[in-house]
Amino acid sequence: MDLRHVLFTLALICANDSLSASDDILQWPQISKCRSPEMETFSCFWTAGNFYNLTVPRILQLLYKKSNEEDWKECPDYITSGQNSCYFNASYTSVWTPYCVQLASKNEVYDKKCFSVDEIVLPDPPVHLNWTLLNTSQTGIHGDIQVRWDPPPTADVRKGWITLEYELQYKEVNETKWKELKPRLSTMVPLYSLKTARDYEIRIRSRQRTSEKFGEFSEILYVSFSQIGIGCDHCMEEVEFPWFLVVVFGVCGLAVTVISIMLSKQPRLKMLIFPPVPVPKIKGIDPDLLKKGKLDEVNSILACHDSYKAQLYCDDLWVEFIELDIEDPEEKNRASDTDRLLSEDDLKSHSCLGTKDDDSGRASCCEPDIPETDFSASDTCDATSDSDQFKKATEKEEDLLCLERQDNDESLPNLANTDPQHQCRNTQSENNNVWAPFEDSIESPHLSVHTQISNQNSLTSTDFYAQVSDITPAGRVVLSPGQKSKLGRAQREGCTEQNFTMDNTYFCEADVKKCIAVTTHEENEPHVQEQGYNEDGYFTAESLTTTVANLGAPTAAVPSSEMPVADYTSIHIVQSPQGLVLNATALPVPDKEFNVSCGYVSTDQLNKIMP
Amino acid sequence: VGNLGLNSKEQRSLLLVALLVSHMLLTKEGVTSLPICPNGSVNCQLSLEELFDRAVKLSHYIHFLSSEMFNEFDERYAQGRGFIAKAVNSCHTASLTTPEDKEQAQQIHHEDLLNLILGVLRSWNDPLIHLASEVQRIKEAPETILWKAVEIEEQNKRLLEGMEKIVGRVHSGEVENDIYTPWDGLPSLQLADEDSRLFAFYNLLHCLRRDSHKIDNYLKVLKCRLIHDNNC
Repeated sequence: MDLRHVLFTLALICANDSLSASDDILQWPQISKCRSPEMETFSCFWTAGNFYNLTVPRILQLLYKKSNEEDWKECPDYITSGQNSCYFNASYTSVWTPYCVQLASKNEVYDKKCFSVDEIVLPDPPVHLNWTLLNTSQTGIHGDIQVRWDPPPTADVRKGWITLEYELQYKEVNETKWKELKPRLSTMVPLYSLKTARDYEIRIRSRQRTSEKFGEFSEILYVSFSQIGIGCDHCMEEVEFPWFLVVVFGVCGLAVTVISIMLSKQPRLKMLIFPPVPVPKIKGIDPDLLKKGKLDEVNSILACHDSYKAQLYCDDLWVEFIELDIEDPEEKNRASDTDRLLSEDDLKSHSCLGTKDDDSGRASCCEPDIPETDFSASDTCDATSDSDQFKKATEKEEDLLCLERQDNDESLPNLANTDPQHQCRNTQSENNNVWAPFEDSIESPHLSVHTQISNQNSLTSTDFYAQVSDITPAGRVVLSPGQKSKLGRAQREGCTEQNFTMDNTYFCEADVKKCIAVTTHEENEPHVQEQGYNEDGYFTAESLTTTVANLGAPTAAVPSSEMPVADYTSIHIVQSPQGLVLNATALPVPDKEFNVSCGYVSTDQLNKIMP
Repeated sequence: VGNLGLNSKEQRSLLLVALLVSHMLLTKEGVTSLPICPNGSVNCQLSLEELFDRAVKLSHYIHFLSSEMFNEFDERYAQGRGFIAKAVNSCHTASLTTPEDKEQAQQIHHEDLLNLILGVLRSWNDPLIHLASEVQRIKEAPETILWKAVEIEEQNKRLLEGMEKIVGRVHSGEVENDIYTPWDGLPSLQLADEDSRLFAFYNLLHCLRRDSHKIDNYLKVLKCRLIHDNNC
């Protein structure tokens, strides 16, 4: 025994060595499968492996054992099922009893399997397949057939010992893929809509009803319609539904319809099919504004859209500003005449974007703002306020210049066209003193603004210009009065007389302008000459900057908001950091009646004048 | 008393309906599934064929469920644990001598076979109840297994009732109810060791699949024998 063992082992090793060079892999004998076709018998099959012939021939045995037995028994029949098989006939088969089989050779066990017969049922294929024609289509192109078959003969279906279900597969002869039908219990099945011009192949397989695995396929059944004489050789090849054409024509038709609807003049139809999409709109806003990018205008418009919808660029609002209340105690707290004046217009209107101060009267009919200006707490709502502030600044500067100005007999350049006869006499030392009264004067009643304007109007058309004389580092724009063409001499006197008194003093803006103009011209002639703005009638800031600077520190230090500026000048164009073109705003020319002393009108007179 | 006030046309249609219904009742040709049995009627019964049809359907369904449940359990828990090699255990119903091949099934008397079927079904009553409750304690048991366990237990009860009805119809004499095997596998389903516990479940499900197949086969044989005269 031991020797044989040793020999066997040596043989194996030799076999291994000899085989290592080749592609064969040493295979042990193993049980490939056990199968019962009808749940009455079963067979087991094995493979012998490839060392069988190389060594001493071994006799493989299949031993089996039922679960309730102790001993292994040998296979009763090695022949019936073929080579390397063991057949257990009905007497050896117990269906629901667990079996174990093992492949052994003498004492060597190569493989072992345990199962019960009900688990290994794989039926034989059905037999006696045939088909009959059910009917054909009217055109003769398609036909229906009925396929019948018999259950496998080994399976005892009649006594109900085994229940089978069948799966049919069919295909055209020259196809590769089989079409499957659902498994069913019956032994006949119709096949519909087969092409009579083609030949078909059919095959069927069966399985036990509660199993998953199918048995082998049956033999193939050939279906040929021409054999029974209804093959349609002359039929046209069937035309499949022309999906492509349908799609193409459908798309074309749809496109034509859509285009015709869009082009049609029938608004109703158009509305029905293509309802207009509501575009976001804000009342009073012209979408073109947005396109052009004039955001300033839009901002101002937005500010006022609640009320002045229709009046985008009205010019008449000036009129409404005259609602003065001198008694108003708040007035004195105002920073400027303009603010006070404009605050009255709260009654009339329109909140300007929710500004906190009540200067919201200014409004609406707004012209673009100048964002950079920072004259006061009042906001950007409209140009009028800004312009007012410009005028304020201008006035202040006028004062200042006027104060600073020395006697000056030099002629003015053509620009100024002023008659610098009156020279503000003042010393610099008085500057500081002067400021205080100026401020006071500024804070005194407001109506001066209007009177000034009206006065100015009567005098000259260019009085409404105020130019930016300086841009402070803080970003404030300092306005100075525009160039003065002709001023009545009578008013010029006011330069020295008027300015420096107490409260409630007003001075002619015109006079002040002249002063400044004279001053500037005296001191900065080259600058003035360089500028070709004569026709425009105003100085650029450049010309005045040095002037202002020369006038002393206080000048530069003065915030523009403290200077009385000619009000109601609207900014027309912002040309450059150095220049602003201001529009004159026409006011109704006052009646000649009213007594103009230095161009100022009292409140009562003003009220008479204005509507 | 209601005044129906039917006119002649409505009376005729009503009569027609009555005739139709009575015809159907008498011939029973249209009746396949639901019996037209008013409550309390003594003579209204399902035919034996109908009873067998239902029983076979139920037994097939139970076997189908248990087969699937076993496969799922095998896939989920048994792989890699070597359960298969050990699964040649005997089931608790092995003590009942049931036909093991076709010959024996052909030879046994149908009443005995019916009693055997009843005995097997009764023996499974208890294990199925415990299976349904214990399987929920398995860690991360799939929903399908849980549902199937409950379903099988329910259907088994219904099949038992149906079988008792059939036995009542078929038996001429008294019904013997002594075929029964008790089940003592509950402790093994509640073992602390997870491997042992899962192995106990595996065995139980394996036995359930086998026995449900047995019942299904016997009933089909009986149906073919009694109803179709061996010519299914």
